Amino acid sequence: MIGRLKTYAKLGTALLFTAAMSVSQQAFAEQVTITYSDWQLAQEGWGKSLRTAIGEFEAKNPGIKVVTEPVQLGQRDVRFTTAIRAGRGPDVFALDANPVRQYISEGWVLGLSRFAEAQDSAFFDDFYDTSLAPVTVDGTVYGVPMNTVAMGLVYNRKKFEAAGLSGPATSWAEFSAHADALTDAGAGQWATTLVLAPAGFDLRVPSIFHSFGASFLTSDWSASALDTPEMKAAFTYVVDLIKSGAVPPGVTQVDANGARRLLANGQIAMTIGTTWTIPEVSTMNPNLDGWNVLRIAALPTDGGRKISPHTTLYQKSLFINANTKHPEAAWALVNFLTERAQMERWFDDNNMLSSRRSVNETYGPIQESPFASVVSQEIQHGTFLPLIPEWPRILDTFRQNLQDAVTGTKTADQALADAHRETNAILKASGN
Amino acid sequence: MIGERWTAYWFVLPGTVLLAAILGFPAIASILESFGLQGGAGPAGGYAALLSDAQFLTASFNTALFVVCVVTLHIILGLAVALLLNSQIRHLWFFRVVAILPWTVPDVIGGLIFRFMLDPLSGGVNALAIRLQLMQQPYDWLGDPDWAMVSVIMAETWRGYPYPMLILLAGLQAIPKEQYEAAAIDGAGAWATFTNVTLPSLMPMILIAVVLDVIWQCRLFGMIYGMTNGGPGDATQNLSLFVYRQYFQFFETSYAASAAVVLAAVLLAVAVPYIRATLREKD
Repeated sequence: MIGRLKTYAKLGTALLFTAAMSVSQQAFAEQVTITYSDWQLAQEGWGKSLRTAIGEFEAKNPGIKVVTEPVQLGQRDVRFTTAIRAGRGPDVFALDANPVRQYISEGWVLGLSRFAEAQDSAFFDDFYDTSLAPVTVDGTVYGVPMNTVAMGLVYNRKKFEAAGLSGPATSWAEFSAHADALTDAGAGQWATTLVLAPAGFDLRVPSIFHSFGASFLTSDWSASALDTPEMKAAFTYVVDLIKSGAVPPGVTQVDANGARRLLANGQIAMTIGTTWTIPEVSTMNPNLDGWNVLRIAALPTDGGRKISPHTTLYQKSLFINANTKHPEAAWALVNFLTERAQMERWFDDNNMLSSRRSVNETYGPIQESPFASVVSQEIQHGTFLPLIPEWPRILDTFRQNLQDAVTGTKTADQALADAHRETNAILKASGN
Repeated sequence: MIGERWTAYWFVLPGTVLLAAILGFPAIASILESFGLQGGAGPAGGYAALLSDAQFLTASFNTALFVVCVVTLHIILGLAVALLLNSQIRHLWFFRVVAILPWTVPDVIGGLIFRFMLDPLSGGVNALAIRLQLMQQPYDWLGDPDWAMVSVIMAETWRGYPYPMLILLAGLQAIPKEQYEAAAIDGAGAWATFTNVTLPSLMPMILIAVVLDVIWQCRLFGMIYGMTNGGPGDATQNLSLFVYRQYFQFFETSYAASAAVVLAAVLLAVAVPYIRATLREKD
């Protein structure tokens, strides 16, 4: 009897051992490592939120390990394109709207429609149509939108009160009057600054042109629209505003971070920004008490008229590298990071609105936020910059000509005429 | 005899293969890319477009202006410092270390340092000038197209002069003392000795320093990228920055390769005197 029990015990132990080994080997075989790269990983607040979310993803998906690869925004496309051309690169990565069409046209990103449809035929229904436009080509969706925001005017209400101003301007003429009241260059105080360096120019300065009712290209993006009266009025206004002394010296080198720092240090009273400006500025200078002192308003418009679109949209979307060896695991991560619960936490942590309509329209803290409610409204009056592969080159040509007008190398009319001619030349050379 | 000759080739073969792989492959790939043979604008399309591209022409002019000014200043400053360091002064080792320090600063970092120094709001240059009552208001040096170019020239003059200085110092130390003794016996003064002994003896080294520095400065990227990013407008954009932008910002790989090949061809032409001088020495 005892001998038989011993035999059964040995047999049971052997079976358990074999089963354990089998499970272990299976788990080892199914363990997948994917990489995730995002410029927001390189920033303290955003990076912390992303790493927390990725930790939760790994806990829910024990077979998938995610290696994060922070990248500086200015180096992002250099890193990604070099790696992808060499058949490598991160499995999942984030892009804003500007370079998306180049990535799609070069075949660097996977079409995601098949993953989404396999999961839920109505997967994309919750996303704004506006948000899906930049990531969709010929009916195929190549990226999942994560955050969509519109640019507005971020202002320091204490400085406005001190200058006897009741609130932000609704027209650009009123904005100029406010600029006079808010500027005291001798005391190191200026009304505003503009971002004329490459990093951040795309979202901010074009918003002013949109608010004059101007467009950069014709509606089919085939030719320059820089010769319209609206564009001329806007261009002249921007150049005159800078030359009036309402902005601190050194404007041609000011990038988005530089503008935020000037606002954080109290050297300017307002700048073009959006919801993320509040936590960023507050972190730069906690003594400012940014969450209470700063406010966001819609951008002024030409003559205070109702113009739509009158601002620029920013969007961050997630993409899967066409070189990935683990598309299913990559899709699982993309899906997790863009699902509703993560979007709500993303707002809680970073004051960022979602590309999901249901989150922005029903999440309580968004409804109650003085910042989010304004920006959420503005999304309906926003537009993306032209979604064509030639756009980065056209925008840089425009930026350089604007700088030439600001520095006096060219007159405003001459600079705009040159930008118009060079834009058409770029489009013509590319076959448009 | 023939066997010995082939043995020598076998010894040279690994090095030749390695050089061909490291230097030849990227060069051939770039040339193919520039002709659109790896997808792109089509044969020679990029080269034709360069001729009518105002940005490329401006970048070429900026590069030429920058290189002429910087190399001239490098040779003048490098020679002056080399003469000082070649003299019999106390604590010579200390001055040699100090003189070479700028060369240890990476060019992007050098650009950022000068950018901060010239910042109109917080930079030290404006603060000092105002304190010395040289001006009343801070000046936006890098926002003025002319001053921006002057600023990057001055910054690179500071950062890069130790390289030609070291070449010239080596040349100075190789001049036989007997020549100076003979000049002294002939009653030559300091200036006459410099123009009749030092300069003629140093000419081969000056030629080498000029050629190498021209090649180096034509390729310069980090200093300008860190300091002005080519601005304001395109006032300080050089050819390296132009190529970088076309490739990484605008994704125009074929066009960027065309511009890079043009730059490489110019540098090759510049390098010919150096190669000939080197070969002549070996003969």
